Amino acid sequence: MLSELRKSLQKLLRIFHRKKQIQLGFYGPVNAGKTTLANRISLDWLGREVGTVSEIPHETREVQKIENIVVTTNNGELRMNIVDMPGIATQVDYKSFKAFGMSEDEAKARAREATKGVIEAIKWLDNVDAVLVVLDSTQDPYTQVNVTIIGNLEARGIPMIIVANKIDLPEANPESIASAFPQHVVVPISAATGENIEKLYEAIQKHLT
Amino acid sequence: MEIQLDFVSAETLARKGSAEKISFILDKIKKNVIVVLEEALEPREEAELIEATMREIDAEEFHGIEFYRIDSRARGLREKIAEYIAGRRHGLTIVGPTRLIEAIKREPDYISMLARIDVTEEGKKKIRRKKGGK
Repeated sequence: MLSELRKSLQKLLRIFHRKKQIQLGFYGPVNAGKTTLANRISLDWLGREVGTVSEIPHETREVQKIENIVVTTNNGELRMNIVDMPGIATQVDYKSFKAFGMSEDEAKARAREATKGVIEAIKWLDNVDAVLVVLDSTQDPYTQVNVTIIGNLEARGIPMIIVANKIDLPEANPESIASAFPQHVVVPISAATGENIEKLYEAIQKHLT
Repeated sequence: MEIQLDFVSAETLARKGSAEKISFILDKIKKNVIVVLEEALEPREEAELIEATMREIDAEEFHGIEFYRIDSRARGLREKIAEYIAGRRHGLTIVGPTRLIEAIKREPDYISMLARIDVTEEGKKKIRRKKGGK
């Protein structure tokens, strides 16, 4: 009840206090392509990449901020700061990193950093204006991590778009994401190839600003 | 090889604040107990549970949790008011250590939990140590 009231109040306040520049958080599970998308946007509009991408889970272990991005769309200018978050996980086992050739010490250090990264990402929930929830469309969308992320954004009244990423892969099934979360706008894209990225910009402008 | 499941009633949970509830759950999980709560955790509590889990992870003994909320939360205003007055959120939450729970998956008509049983001597010793035995 109270959270419903708070949500409605936040929506109302947002209408009267539309920001010229939004703080846009990228949330999602590990290895969904958040940093690939941040790099794609940064490369398109600032001419540089900002984070390293890897198949090893938890490559992004610290929050990365990309400031003052100005995107031009058919509907005008979109100004934003991007906050690329470490992936949310409920478990971190250092042994999984050893499978990628890391030494025991390296793997343990990465695991320690990864746990801190998850905590940092959760704390940032209170500091973003809007969120792109980046999901891997080759995976089952109905996981508890995805449900928890989306549930937390709903509870806080933070507007969001779900990005069904990796549609360039043959096993991609963005429709399954749309049916898992029918109450939200879902934009299928490939951050790796740039496919549909323009539609994402337009959706951000329409739904998040 | 035994697996312990603790069922915690909604009445017990209602007496605890969020922080106390999270710590109560994690204490059990760290003793290799799978916990079934007679309520759906709130999303904020789930985030707190993940955060607290991350703080507790250590390289050798505890690698995290698997959990799943089965939500039969009231959607209509009348039901919401009734839930608010009763202080109870309908549904279930299953939480367990990754050492035991391989996966919890939603199927069309049911929720499936796959548990892993470590029957090696080392595994048995670890479980006994966690439970306070020798």
